[in-house]
Amino acid sequence: MSKKQQHTVDPVGKSVPRVDAFEKVTGEAKYVDDMFFGPDMYYGKLVLSPHAHAIIKKVDVSKALAYPGVKAVVTGEDTPYRIGLYMQDRYIFARDRVRYVGEPVAGVIAISEEIAEAAAKLVEVEYEVLEPLFDPYEAAQPGAPLIHPDMESYTWPPFIFPEPGTNVSEHFKLRRGNVSDEGVAQEVWDQCAAIVEQTFRLPPIQHVPIETHVAVALWELDGKVTLWSPSQSPFAQRDLIAQGMGISHGDLRVISPYVGGGFGGKAGVSIEANVVAMARAVKGHPVKVRMTREEEFTTTNVRQSLYAHTKIGCDAEGNLLAMETEYYFGGGGYNDYGVNIARAAGYSCTGPYRIPNVKGDSRSVYTNTPIGSAMRGFGMPEIHWGIEQIMDQLAEKIGMDPAEFRRKNAVRTGDTILTGMKMTPINLVACIDKAKELIGWDEEKKPSAPNKKRGVGIAIMWKAPAMPPNPGSSAIVRFNEDATVNVYVGGQEIGQGAFTVAAQMAAQALGVPFEWVRVSANPVDTKYSPYEWQTVASRITWSMGNAVKRAAEDARRQIIDIVAKYWDEDPEDLDIRDGVVISYKSEREQPLKKMVIYGLPNENYEGWQGGPIIGRGKFMPTYVTNLDPETGQGTRAVVHYTVGAQAVDLEVDTETGQIEIIKIASVYDVGKAINPDLIMTQIEGGAVHGMSSAFEGIFFDKDGRPINASLVDYKIATIQDIPKKVVGDYVETPLPDGPWGARGVGEHVMVQTAPAIANAIYNAIGIRVPDLPLSAEKIYTAIKEKEAKEKGE
Amino acid sequence: MRPFDYYKPKDFQEAIALLSQEGKKTFPVAGATDLIPMARDERWLPDIVVDIKALPGLRELKLIDEGLYVGAAMTMNEIAASPLVKSTWDVLAQGASSVGHNQVRNRATVGGNIATSSPAADTPPSLLVLEAIVVVRGPEGERRIPITEFFLGPRRNALKKGEIIVGLILPTPPEGAVGSYHRISRRHGADLAIVGVAVLAYPKAEGFGWRVALGAVAPTPIRVPQAEATLSAAPGKPDEAVISQAIQEAVAASRPIDDIRATAKYRREMIATLMRKAIEDVLEKL
Amino acid sequence: MLHEITLKINGEEYQVAVKSHHTLLTVLREQLGITSPKRGCENGECGACTVILDGKPVNSCMVLAVEADGSTIETTEGLAKDGNLHPLQEAFIEHNAVQCGFCTPGMLMSAKALLDFNPHPTEEDIKVALAGNLCRCTGYYRIIEAVKDAAVKMEAEK
Ligand SMILES: Cc1cc2nc3c(=O)[nH]c(=O)nc-3n(C[C@H](O)[C@H](O)[C@H](O)COP(=O)(O)OP(=O)(O)OC[C@H]3O[C@@H](n4cnc5c(N)ncnc54)[C@H](O)[C@@H]3O)c2cc1C
Ligand code: FES
Ligand code: FES
Repeated sequence: MSKKQQHTVDPVGKSVPRVDAFEKVTGEAKYVDDMFFGPDMYYGKLVLSPHAHAIIKKVDVSKALAYPGVKAVVTGEDTPYRIGLYMQDRYIFARDRVRYVGEPVAGVIAISEEIAEAAAKLVEVEYEVLEPLFDPYEAAQPGAPLIHPDMESYTWPPFIFPEPGTNVSEHFKLRRGNVSDEGVAQEVWDQCAAIVEQTFRLPPIQHVPIETHVAVALWELDGKVTLWSPSQSPFAQRDLIAQGMGISHGDLRVISPYVGGGFGGKAGVSIEANVVAMARAVKGHPVKVRMTREEEFTTTNVRQSLYAHTKIGCDAEGNLLAMETEYYFGGGGYNDYGVNIARAAGYSCTGPYRIPNVKGDSRSVYTNTPIGSAMRGFGMPEIHWGIEQIMDQLAEKIGMDPAEFRRKNAVRTGDTILTGMKMTPINLVACIDKAKELIGWDEEKKPSAPNKKRGVGIAIMWKAPAMPPNPGSSAIVRFNEDATVNVYVGGQEIGQGAFTVAAQMAAQALGVPFEWVRVSANPVDTKYSPYEWQTVASRITWSMGNAVKRAAEDARRQIIDIVAKYWDEDPEDLDIRDGVVISYKSEREQPLKKMVIYGLPNENYEGWQGGPIIGRGKFMPTYVTNLDPETGQGTRAVVHYTVGAQAVDLEVDTETGQIEIIKIASVYDVGKAINPDLIMTQIEGGAVHGMSSAFEGIFFDKDGRPINASLVDYKIATIQDIPKKVVGDYVETPLPDGPWGARGVGEHVMVQTAPAIANAIYNAIGIRVPDLPLSAEKIYTAIKEKEAKEKGE
Repeated sequence: MRPFDYYKPKDFQEAIALLSQEGKKTFPVAGATDLIPMARDERWLPDIVVDIKALPGLRELKLIDEGLYVGAAMTMNEIAASPLVKSTWDVLAQGASSVGHNQVRNRATVGGNIATSSPAADTPPSLLVLEAIVVVRGPEGERRIPITEFFLGPRRNALKKGEIIVGLILPTPPEGAVGSYHRISRRHGADLAIVGVAVLAYPKAEGFGWRVALGAVAPTPIRVPQAEATLSAAPGKPDEAVISQAIQEAVAASRPIDDIRATAKYRREMIATLMRKAIEDVLEKL
Repeated sequence: MLHEITLKINGEEYQVAVKSHHTLLTVLREQLGITSPKRGCENGECGACTVILDGKPVNSCMVLAVEADGSTIETTEGLAKDGNLHPLQEAFIEHNAVQCGFCTPGMLMSAKALLDFNPHPTEEDIKVALAGNLCRCTGYYRIIEAVKDAAVKMEAEK
C-alpha cells in the first residue's frame, strides 16, 4: 500500500492515517448492497401509505399474491408487535391506522425487485382518511385529535413522561431557581435590563447519507435469523427486533459491514424489522429491501421539526438572570426514538450558559409527518438555533460585544448547572477566544462588491451524550503469533474514524506499534463482536475507547506477568515498549512474537506458562441518576458535556439574498485529541453539514405529502457551495473518565453553525430570520421589506 | 421502471418507422438524462425507445452558409467547449455549461433539452436570442421550425409523432454581437434554474439591437419583444432609465409560478436582477 | 427485450445480455458484480455511480446499458495498476479525503477523468468537475486537496 513502511510508537495524539481508507479508495469495501447473497435471494418492496393519517379498513393482497413471481405478501396482520427504542409505539407494518405518508403497510416479496415493485402496486388498501396534524404546537394543545389514542397501553422507560390523552409523548420539565409552573418569578424579570422573547420554527430535515437504507434478512428453517444492515446500532437492532418479534437474542444475528453515512439516520431500527418480518414469510431465502432515494426521505426517518418559544433576560452588566422556554418537537407519526430528543433538549435547554432561574418545558409531540429520530446533534442544533440568536440580541440591547457576552455567561467547570449537576471539566471560554482569533473578530472586514454586505457572527454550544443511564461498551484484544493484534469492538465505523481511534488506543495501551493493530470489526457481527450499545451520541471515542483501553491493559498485564515470572522479576519493573517487554531493573528484553501465543518456559525451565493472550475490557457509566419529574433536578443528569464555539464570516448579496460564506472557524474542547487530523476532518465536514442544514427542509402539501422528497429539490451542499475556508482548532481539558481524557466531538461540530450564520447575517444586514431554512428568497424578501420600511419612515 | 424496447437505427427511414408505430408510446432517446428519470418515476411510459445518436448529422457541429449547424445529439459539454460555438454563438456555450453538472453535461444533448421543453431548461433562452431554427425530420419529410414557434407549453412542443430533431441552425448573428446568459438557483452546484436570462446585443446603424429571452418564468421560455424594442430604440448604449423600463417590461411579460424552488414574486424580482447583470455584462463587452 | 452487448471494463472484455430498460449501473452491479459504482439516487443527482465511459465521466444510472455497447468503461476497481495505487488513491488516503467512503469511488472517477484531460486543474476546475458528486461527510476540502496533490505527483512522475 503506502510506499514507506510506517512504524508508529505511542500513536495516541498523533495523526496516523485511517485504517479503513485503503479498501474505500480501491472499491474493495463491500457495503450491504454490494454483497452477494446467492441466486436464491428474493427482493422485497414496501407498500407505503399515501395518507398522512387514516384508518386502515381493509388490506387486500390477493392480486399482488397472484402476480407471477411473487412469493409472499406480509401485512400488519402478520406483525402484531410494537417496537421502539424508548417508546414502544410502532407496529412493524401499520395495523389499525397509518400516521404519516410513507408508512409501511405491507411488504411484497418476489423473485426480482421489478416484480416486487410491480406487485406492490396491486396491494389494495382501503383507508378512511382522518384529519392530519402537522404543527407540533397545535398538535400538543388539549382537544387536538389524537394520533395515538391508546398511548397509555404502550411501554416506556421510567425516565420518559408521556401524557396519554394528548399527543404529547414526552414532557420534560425543568424548574430551577425562583420559578413556578407559571414561569420565572416577576421579581426576577424586574431585575432584567434587557429581555428578548421570540418564537422560532425549524422544518424537518434529513440526514441524506449517500447510501440509502438497505437490509437483507434470512430466516432459516431452524428459526435462526440473520440480518445484514448498514447500522449504527447492530446490537440495539438485535435487541429491539428480538424483543419485538419474540426471537431469542441468541438466535438473531445482525451483521453490519461498511456504513455509507449515518448521521443518526442509521441508529435504532427503521426498515430492518420489516425486512425480518418479510424474511419469515419465505424461510430459507434471503430477502433484500433497499430504499430508493425518494423512499429514504419518507420511510426511514428525519430530524424533527421544532416550534420553540423562548424568553431570556439579563441585567445591565450582561449577567443572564432568567429564561423561560417551551420546545415542541414535531416527532412524527412515531416517537420511539424521538422522546429522548425532547428529554435531552429539556435537560440542556439553556444552552451552555449560567442562568440562575430557568423554567423549561420540552415536549415531543406526535404529528402526521415522517418519523423524527436521531440526527447529528440530537436536539441541540434545533434549540441552539433560537438560544444563540437571543443571546446576540441581548448583547446588543445592553451594548455589549456578543462574543464578550458569551464569555461572561459561558458555563464553567464545576458550575452547578440547570439540572443541579456539577459541570464536568471543560474550557468554553478558551474555545470562544480561539474562535475569535481564527475569524479575526476585531478586524474590519470589507465587502467584495457594492451590492454585498459583510458580517461576522459567533455561536457557542454544548451537548451531552443523550442516552439511557447505563449504556455499555466492551472490547476484546487478541494476539497473533507475530504479535500483531486483533481488536474486537462492536462500535461502528460510520466515517468518523472510530476504528482508527480504537487501533491507536489499543496500540498505546499495549505498548506496540500502531501498525501492528488490526481492528476486527468489519463487519460488526453480533454473533462475534463484543457488545456495544450504539454508535451514537458521540460516545464511541469515550465509551468504547475506555473499553478498548481496558482490554489492552488487561492483555498487557497478562503478558507482563508471564515475562516477570519467566525472568523471576517484579512485574512492577516491567514495561512494554515498541512491542518488546523490557525490564527497567535488569534491562532484559523479551520480544512479544510467539510468546503471546505459546507462552514462555517456567522460571526453572520445567514446563511452560502463559498461553494465547486475550484481553477483555468493558465500560459502563454507573453514576447517572434519575431526575425529578417535576423539576428536572438530580445529582447527575448526564455523563459529561462537550462544548465549543463557532464564528462565521460571510457576505450577503443584497440583489439576490444569496449568502456567500467566507470562513467558518470552529473550536471545540475535545479533552484529548487522540488523532488531531481526524478531529479536523470532523470540524470541516461538520461545518459544511451545519451550513447545508441551514438551507434544508422537507416541505409538505396540505395532505402531508412531501413535495421535495428527492435530491432534485432537497438540496445538500455541493463542492461549489462550501465556505471558502473552514479553519479549526481544539482545546484539551481532560475528561476524568475519558480515555487519555478524550470525549466525543462528532456531532458538536455542526450544532451551532446555523445560528452562527444567522448572527452573521444580522451583523451584515440587520435582519433576523427566526425560521429555518435560510433561503435566499427569504433573506431577499426581508431585505426589501426592511428597505421599504426605512423609506416609509 | 416499466420495461420498454430499445432500438438503435442507422438511418432515418428505420428510425421514423419505429417512432411512428401506432398504438405505441415511442420516444427518441439521446442522452437519456430526462428519459431515465421520467421513466423511473413512471411519468413517461415508453413502449419503445429509439436511440438516435447513430443517425447521420446528429453528432455534427459545423459551419454552414446560414451560420452554425449543431447536431441534435451534441452534448452540453461538447457545445460548451466548442471553439466554433464560443466564437460567435457564445451565449449558447454559456447556457450549455450551466446545465446540471459535469456528468450530466457529458450526456445531455441540446436536442433533448429542447424536446423535453421544460420551462426551466438552460439552452432555450440562448437559442431564442440566437433565433435558432430547429431542423426536424419525420414521416412527412424535413421541416424547419423557428425556435420561437417550437415551445407550446410546459413539456409541450411542435414536434409530431415520429419526428426527430436533426439539428439546430444558428444563423450568424449581426456583426459584433455579444451575448450573456445569467441564471440563479438555490445551490451553486447542479441545481435547476429559478430564473434564466439570455441577452444578446449588436451594433446597428444607430445604437444597438437587443434581444432578450427568459427561462423558468412562463409556461415556455420566452422572448420579451417590448423590452427588446425599448432597449433597441435607445440612440446609443441604453442608460439607466431605459434599462429600468426594459426590465419592467420584461417582468410584465413574464408569467412565473410559485413552486418549491421559488415564489412567483421572487422570480419576478430575479428577472430584474439577472437581466440587469446580463445587460451590464453585454454592455461591457460591446 | 434482451440485447447481447460487449463492454470493455477496466481492460477486460465482457459479453452480457442486458434488458433494454436496465441502466449501466444496474448491469455493472447486479449482473457483472462490479460494485464500486454506488447506487445513491438513480436519478443523476448524487454522482456515487460515476464511471468513465469512453474517457468521460458519466452517471452510470443515467445511461442505458445497451447504449454502452462497444464502449470502454473505467471504474474504481481498475484504478490501481499492478498492485500500485493510482496517485489519486494515495492522495485520498494521505489527505483523509475519505470518511464513510460511499462517495469515494464516484469522486475518484470524476477526479481521474479531470486529470486525464486537464493535468493542471485550478481549484475552480476541480470544483466544476466534482460538482455532481455529493459527499455528506467530508465537507469536500480534503478531496480538493487530494486532487491537487495527485496532480502535482502525477506531473512529477512523468
Ligand atoms: C441531475 C440532472 C440535472 C439536470 N440539470 C439541468 C439543468 O440545470 N438545466 C437543464 O436545462 N436541464 C437539466 N437537466 C435535464 C436534462 O439533462 C436536459 O434536459 C438534457 O438536455 C436532456 O437531453 P438528453 O439528451 O439527455 O435527453 P433524453 O433524455 O435523451 O430525451 C429527453 C426527451 O427529448 C426527446 N428527444 C431527445 N432527443 C431528441 C431528438 N433529437 N429529437 C426528438 N426528440 C428528442 C426524448 O424522446 C425525450 O422525450 C438535468 C438532468 C439531470 C439528470
Ligand atoms: S446513483 Fe447515479 S447519480 Fe446518484
Ligand atoms: S465520505 Fe461519506 S459521503 Fe463522502
